[in-house]
Amino acid sequence: MRHYEVVFLVHPDQSEQVPAMTARYRGVVEEKGGKVHRLEDWGRRQLAYPINKIHKAHYVLMNIECDGASLEELKTLFKFNDAVLRDLVLSRKDAITDPSPIAQAKEEQSDRETQRARRSDSYTSENKRPETPAVEAAAETPAVEAAAETPAVEAAAETPAVEAAAETPAVEAAPEDDVEVEK
Amino acid sequence: MAKFVRRRRFCKFTAEGFTSIDYKDLATLRGSLTENGKIVPSRISGTKVHFQRQLSTAIKHARYLALIPFCDAHKG
Repeated sequence: MRHYEVVFLVHPDQSEQVPAMTARYRGVVEEKGGKVHRLEDWGRRQLAYPINKIHKAHYVLMNIECDGASLEELKTLFKFNDAVLRDLVLSRKDAITDPSPIAQAKEEQSDRETQRARRSDSYTSENKRPETPAVEAAAETPAVEAAAETPAVEAAAETPAVEAAAETPAVEAAPEDDVEVEK
Repeated sequence: MAKFVRRRRFCKFTAEGFTSIDYKDLATLRGSLTENGKIVPSRISGTKVHFQRQLSTAIKHARYLALIPFCDAHKG
């Protein structure tokens, strides 16, 4: 059994079928005792150049361990599936399970988006009910600060992470306090 | 005579302790491309031969998957 890294691009119109396709390919690999070590769905990405007059494609990355016959089967499946625009198969020396740089970048982006969404939510609630969120924020800030201070004394090793986590909400809460003062 | 002040070239992959160059690490690959999307030669960048070979295959894999362009003149 050898290790392979497979990337394939799916037509954006067939994006909904991607989970079914990955399940099918997983079945092909595991049929003869192979393994899927890493499965990443990068989602729909902008292509650097158009392929078949298409500008976007759904990327999937698989790190698999299988025998030659299964790999050949997988390759023919790619070849005769019209939804698969491109595929790349590379042999690797061992199983890779760490998330790839692209998956990491995507995760960071989604984190940022959720944070932004949360912030915009807080703004809207502030506009609707001017007093209550300010009171909540005021109530939250001492608790957060206390949470940041006590572990700082207890565990010196963990402090940077804890402080960083505690500081950001405090900063976010600060403008709301200012609003209260102005009123 | 014009005086050329040439900075000492160094291999950034050796300096940063790379073991291998991944075709999925787009930020690193973009650092070794010109504005036109060409691979910067090791004669200019000072990249060690060991890494320049890896870099060229990594860039070519990324190009095939449309992660980075072949050139700047793709008809959009």
